[in-house]
Amino acid sequence: MTDRSTAADRPLLEATDVTVRFGGLVALDRVPLTVPPATIVGLIGPNGAGKSTFFGVLSGLIRPRTGTVRIDGDDVTRTSPQVRARLGVARTFQRLELFGELTVRQHLVVAYRAKRRRTLFDLARALPLDLVGLGNRPAPGEDETVDRVLELLGLTAVASVSASAIGLGTGRLVEVARALASQPRVLLLDEPSSGLDARETHELADVLARLRDEEGVALVLVEHNVGMVLGLADDVTVLDFGEVIARGPAAAIRADAAVQAAYLGTGM
Amino acid sequence: MTTYFVAGIVVGSVYAIATLGLVLTYTTSRIFNFAHGAVAFFVAVTFYQATVNWGWNAHLAGVLTIFVFSPLLGLFLWAVLFRRLTESPSSVRLVSTIGLSVALPALAPILYPHIDAVLQPSMLWSPAHEYTIFGVHVDSNQVAVVMAAALIAVLLTVLMRATPYGLSVRAAVDSQSMAGASGVNTSFVTAVSWMIGTTLAGAAGVLLGALRGFTILQFTFLLLGSFAAMVVARMHSLTLAFAGSMAIGLLQELSASQQFQHFLEHFASPTNPIILGIRPSIPFIVMLVLLLVYNGLQEERFAIDTRSMAEPVREVVVGRDQRWWRRLLPIAVCLVGVLVAPEFLNGLWLAIVASGLALATAFLSYVVVTGDGGMISLCQITFAGIAAALAAQFATNHNVPVLLAILLGALIVVPIGMIAALPSLRLGSLYLALATLAFAQLVQNTYFQTPRISNFGQGVAVPRPGGLAGDRAFYYLLVVLFVLVALLVRNLERSTTGLNLAAMRSSETATATLGVNIVWSKFVAFGLSAFIAGIGGGLYASYAGAANMNQFDALLGAVWLAVVVTWGIRSITGALLAGLSFTIIPQLVTDHLSGRWLNLPTLFFGLGAIALARDPRGILHRATTRRHERRIRRARRNAEPADRVAEPIAAA
Ligand SMILES: Nc1ncnc2c1ncn2[C@@H]1O[C@H](COP(=O)(O)OP(=O)(O)O)[C@@H](O)[C@H]1O
Ligand SMILES: [Mg+2]
Repeated sequence: MTDRSTAADRPLLEATDVTVRFGGLVALDRVPLTVPPATIVGLIGPNGAGKSTFFGVLSGLIRPRTGTVRIDGDDVTRTSPQVRARLGVARTFQRLELFGELTVRQHLVVAYRAKRRRTLFDLARALPLDLVGLGNRPAPGEDETVDRVLELLGLTAVASVSASAIGLGTGRLVEVARALASQPRVLLLDEPSSGLDARETHELADVLARLRDEEGVALVLVEHNVGMVLGLADDVTVLDFGEVIARGPAAAIRADAAVQAAYLGTGM
Repeated sequence: MTTYFVAGIVVGSVYAIATLGLVLTYTTSRIFNFAHGAVAFFVAVTFYQATVNWGWNAHLAGVLTIFVFSPLLGLFLWAVLFRRLTESPSSVRLVSTIGLSVALPALAPILYPHIDAVLQPSMLWSPAHEYTIFGVHVDSNQVAVVMAAALIAVLLTVLMRATPYGLSVRAAVDSQSMAGASGVNTSFVTAVSWMIGTTLAGAAGVLLGALRGFTILQFTFLLLGSFAAMVVARMHSLTLAFAGSMAIGLLQELSASQQFQHFLEHFASPTNPIILGIRPSIPFIVMLVLLLVYNGLQEERFAIDTRSMAEPVREVVVGRDQRWWRRLLPIAVCLVGVLVAPEFLNGLWLAIVASGLALATAFLSYVVVTGDGGMISLCQITFAGIAAALAAQFATNHNVPVLLAILLGALIVVPIGMIAALPSLRLGSLYLALATLAFAQLVQNTYFQTPRISNFGQGVAVPRPGGLAGDRAFYYLLVVLFVLVALLVRNLERSTTGLNLAAMRSSETATATLGVNIVWSKFVAFGLSAFIAGIGGGLYASYAGAANMNQFDALLGAVWLAVVVTWGIRSITGALLAGLSFTIIPQLVTDHLSGRWLNLPTLFFGLGAIALARDPRGILHRATTRRHERRIRRARRNAEPADRVAEPIAAA
């Protein structure tokens, strides 16, 4: 464990004993995860290990059979994705979930404004303005935040391009940018580098490290690119067939025999 | 009592035959065929044509229409339509089959102009042989129908559980691509399932025609009884589909029995329209109750949602390089045309165009709920009808000024619209479409039938606004109100709420994880669309002079949807053209063609919906994109090689 994580008094996001079944298939079997503030937690494992399913549980899209998810120590297992977003959780999707009819910039605008219209009162107050044509003004701080995130991920040039017209690699970055525009405290990244070339992967890794070091965002990183995870993460959990087969600092994982076995043939 | 029981079993058997076909096609291709009843109707009138008008032997005609014509029809529909739909988003699948359900019944009277609902030819014995079994009177035809249903249920179950075909069906369902990779010919599997499905629809149609006559209304019953049974079966269980069909048939027939009527008399007088409405409403009551309480449906939604993630993002033309005047040109041309029209139109045509304008206002409600909200609603016409009925009550019975009465009526349907949105919070788009259809039928069978509303089928009078009673003046009022409502829609689309709706339409999952309040967005979309439909409905009634509920028939709602889809469901211009063409084209047909072609416009709208289900911006957009694409291609050839921005997304 690094200094950073031990310094944290309480984990930002914590899952214990998470079990998910799809019919007869046990996709996750009593999986724990602890995410302290300002750390990168790596989650690796072969295809079908249950990583994306775990993200579904953390972000509120999948209800686990057993286990709990806590944010700041509060049990949020049975809350909706919206509630978790408000508590500071954001995520990206492995299969791109872009808004095909919006421009890249509008993705970030939707994310940013979602935070400002939280209560039913906010929503009810905004609706008449929306209907008379005054609902299209940027929220306070919107332009700065959106422009900064676009800049950070190198998306400024494509800001006004429709999401249905961008490539897979750019789409991955838009996923990350959208999540960041909601100003999360913990960001779940599901294979953000697949579809990126070597240079772009490197740049993304830099951005992620800066988010942790400069902005104090906690990251959970699911990756195919094991090298990238071991290079970035403070702490790594390895899943195989829904079970944790190893967890610990990156260096220890690199040497672990069980991990080697699970990845045999995938060229780790 | 036993008579009703026997009748219930027989009707239930007919439902069962139809429902089993629906289950088969749904499980193999994930397409819920809204046109199943329309197919049944089409096959049934073909049988009628062969026996009555061509004089074929009834047994032979029955065998040929069911076992030769129906499978060929199924194969044809699969080849031209269903095959292309399997990979489409669920809204496209829904709209296409709804379009088919509009087109087929409209095609029938054009092909067969001499169908007389009084004759009821039967492919079985006529007259039937009568028996008494255990003291119960039955006839040979009833026995045959029940045995056929049981036999089909057994055969299908064996087919699905114990044959290589059934195995490949299940493989095809689990993953179209995986089954393809493992050597199963999914095309063959789905083609055969559509042929069997259509055959079963056809059989149910021919049998029902003999029982109830050959009018489209009877077939609506068939269709909706089997839709309710599909919900009982959670779309996939053959056993539950059979049991559900029987139960609904029994409930329907038993509710006509003396005992049940006496039981109801404890609550209300036998002529109470609610009581009279119960019997035809049983399938909808069953459907709505199940949609609200059934838990298994939630998982269905999840399964469908994860599947839909795999759908590749549709490639569209980059950006909108169109100049603002080019974008506004169509709507400007339309509005100018509408404004100068009164100079050139005589009284009849002015009335036709004016009703078209009122309808166009109502059609804007589809732009909000379906175009922007991405939800398929089949009860917009009901919102319009309720609001029109209320406006009539306020204006005629309570002396409220008519424009205020229309506004009040529209405001009252807002909460009703929000209630209709409830299923969409829990369930996917297919169940929402079914729930709104059930709601529309329920209101039609009960509220619309109350004497206070229906006024002996004439509707309660709705006066013209004071001072604007002249045709010209009221016409211009309609133009102004259409523009105002259109501005409301445009403002919504450009606002944050509109952004959220656009996001939701592409990915509800991602939108939810950003913290956008999905429930609120859906309530807004449904509530506002109900309001707009209400305004349009009230104006329509006011121009016509009365709120006649026949013009707000739930079945007509499918035609409304079809015409709006044809012109473009996401476009204000589309709504305007849809409204105008909905009244103008039928008048042109009446003026220039014989009675046989009366349904031609409906056929066009149905086919239009099928052809354009994929393109939410409709015909107009299709035309302009073609030009735009050509221009872009030309520009690209001249410019440097395309950068990465222009390359389409590869399958993720
Ligand atoms: N919605 C679902 N229904 C049924 N099985 C699922 C579903 N989602 C995932 N699975 C299964 O659960 C397992 C874990 O999947 P996933 O979490 O996507 O793995 P990973 O992201 O590690 O590749 C896989 O075997 C997958 O087939
Ligand atoms: Mg995954």
